[in-house]
This record gives sequence, structure tokens and C-alpha cells, in this order.
Amino acid sequence: MLTESDMERYDRQIIIDGLGQEGQERLKKARVVIAGSGGLGSAVSVYLVAAGVGTVRLIDHDRVELSNLNRQVLHWDKDIGRRKVISASEKLRSLNPGVTIEAVDETIKEDNVARLVAGFDMIVDAMDNFPVRLMLNKAALDRNIPFFYGGVHGFEGRAMTIIPGRTACLKCVYHGSIPGDKIPVVGATPAVIGSIQATEVIKYIVGIGELLADTLLVYNGLDMEFTRFKVKRDPDCEHCGKWRDEVKNEC
Amino acid sequence: MSVKVNIHPVLRHMTKGQSVVEVKGSTVGQCLKQLVAQFPETESALFNKDGRLLSYVEIYVNRESSYPEELKKKVADGDEIHIVLMLTGG
Ligand SMILES: [Zn+2]
Repeated sequence: MLTESDMERYDRQIIIDGLGQEGQERLKKARVVIAGSGGLGSAVSVYLVAAGVGTVRLIDHDRVELSNLNRQVLHWDKDIGRRKVISASEKLRSLNPGVTIEAVDETIKEDNVARLVAGFDMIVDAMDNFPVRLMLNKAALDRNIPFFYGGVHGFEGRAMTIIPGRTACLKCVYHGSIPGDKIPVVGATPAVIGSIQATEVIKYIVGIGELLADTLLVYNGLDMEFTRFKVKRDPDCEHCGKWRDEVKNEC
Repeated sequence: MSVKVNIHPVLRHMTKGQSVVEVKGSTVGQCLKQLVAQFPETESALFNKDGRLLSYVEIYVNRESSYPEELKKKVADGDEIHIVLMLTGG
């Protein structure tokens, strides 16, 4: 149930056609994992918390460094050296005390990923590397919950929404990463992509609009262009291939 | 026959800043070969030593993924190829 204060706080989105009080109640009940509290994580978490998503779990094991501050806007100069999840959850709680924010200071690994996402309705990818993204992709498919992919590089970014059993997954479209360990990024790029991911999450929860399903959206900030590319589910995909449907049918 | 190849921003220093290069060919492989003929630096950015596409290079024809047999994919006059790279930052 929405309180009087909720009605006022979320007034400007409750008046959106197709969202309404019912949509706001759905947002309040939703439980979202945001994996990574860096550039993408800052943008995604600010907009989901501001929108009144009921429970948000932040997972990150890093500490804030000076070189993060050009883009990871939830962390400020005074936070250098602090745990990112502590720094981020502090700001998010003061933005919206009505949201339950869980700060999980752990590294996501093969042997803990299932536990870290258990009990949640969706996973947002705000990671900065592919091995963990793929673990999250698989964990989302295993739990049969949606996964919201985002990635950035320089002035460019991309996003895609994965609905288990219905759309191509991240493993279907991922075949390798650009080599190099220091990724260039201007802060506005993860802000664009993180905002797109947050929009997708809100649409999914409320049940309105068209998702980036089987669609890779590529943002090119230099030419200021968005391009939608069609992708296909790979029937032999190790994560979401036909074998999964067959295993399900046997059960 | 003319096919437009859209060059990813990261590779444009290899095409004298050109974002679109016009080539001729009836498969993606032939078109990319022409691109390399015009701009030899692009070869090592697209292909490995065996002439196979690098794993992080994605090819779309008319905005549709052409994975897995990208180089064999047929193209026709007026088609558009996009060379896109997988991004990993966050
Ligand atoms: Zn898949």
C-alpha cells in the first residue's frame, strides 16, 4: 500500500499513463540486485531508488579510488578509500529513506553468485568485466529472472534486456572482449547507459512499453547516434540453449 | 554493386577518419577484404592470423546480427554492414 507521502513523492510518475498507483505499488514490492557500484551502478541505482523500487541490493567489493570520480558519481572526494557499497548506500538512503538498501561487500564468484541473487526478482549488470557478467547472466537464467545488460567504452555504450526463455541472452551475443585492462570512459556515457537500464527495469516491473528484447541498443556519443541491432537466440547457447527447455520439460 | 561499411569509432583512425567506406562484394568477407585493400591497417583490427574474424568484432548486415558465419553472409547492392566492437567497461 502506498502512503500519503509516497503519493506525493512519486506524484510525477504516478500520473504517467499506464504507470499509475498500481505501477507504483509494483515498484514498491520489487526486489532488484544491482551488481557493481561503479559508473553504471551509480546511474542505475540513483534512478531506481528515486523511482521507489522497494528493495535494492548493491554488490561490490571495491574501494573508492581517485580515478573513479570522473564517472562514478555516487562516490565523492571525501569517500576515497571507503568501501563503494557503503559510500553508495549512504547517499541512496538519504535520497530515499523509504527504500530498503542492502550493501553487500563481496566479490561475485561462481560459488557465491546463486546465494547473492537468491530472493530477488531481477539483476542489473553494472559490472566492468565479462567473466562476472556471464556468471550473472547464467544465474538470472537459472532463477528464471530478467537480466539487464549494459556496457561502456569511451563515448560509446550498449544495453540489452534478457528475458529467460524468450530472448537471446548475453552469452548468445558475447564471443570475446576488446583486449586491455584500463578501459577509457567519460562519465556521461555510463550515465546514459545506466539510465537506459533503469528505464528498462521500471518498464519491466510496471509492465509497460517495449523492452530491448533480442535488441542490442548501441549508443555512439561521438556521432550522437543510437542504433538498434537485431540479435538472435543461439539454439546451441551454453547458457540459454534448447537443452534448457528440454531439461525443464523432463522435470 | 556498392555496399556501405560503417566503421566503429575506435577503428576510424585507420580509415582516415571516415565513418562509412563504400565497397563492392557479394559477401561480407569480400566486402571486408576490399576495406582492407583500401585501408590496410584495418586488417589486424578485424582478423587474426588465420584470417578469421577476431572474437570481439561483431558484424551486422542491415542491423541484423550475421553471427556465426559472418564472412559467408551474402550482401546485395545497397546493403549496410556495421562493424561493432564488444564493450566491457562499467
Ligand atoms: Zn544464450
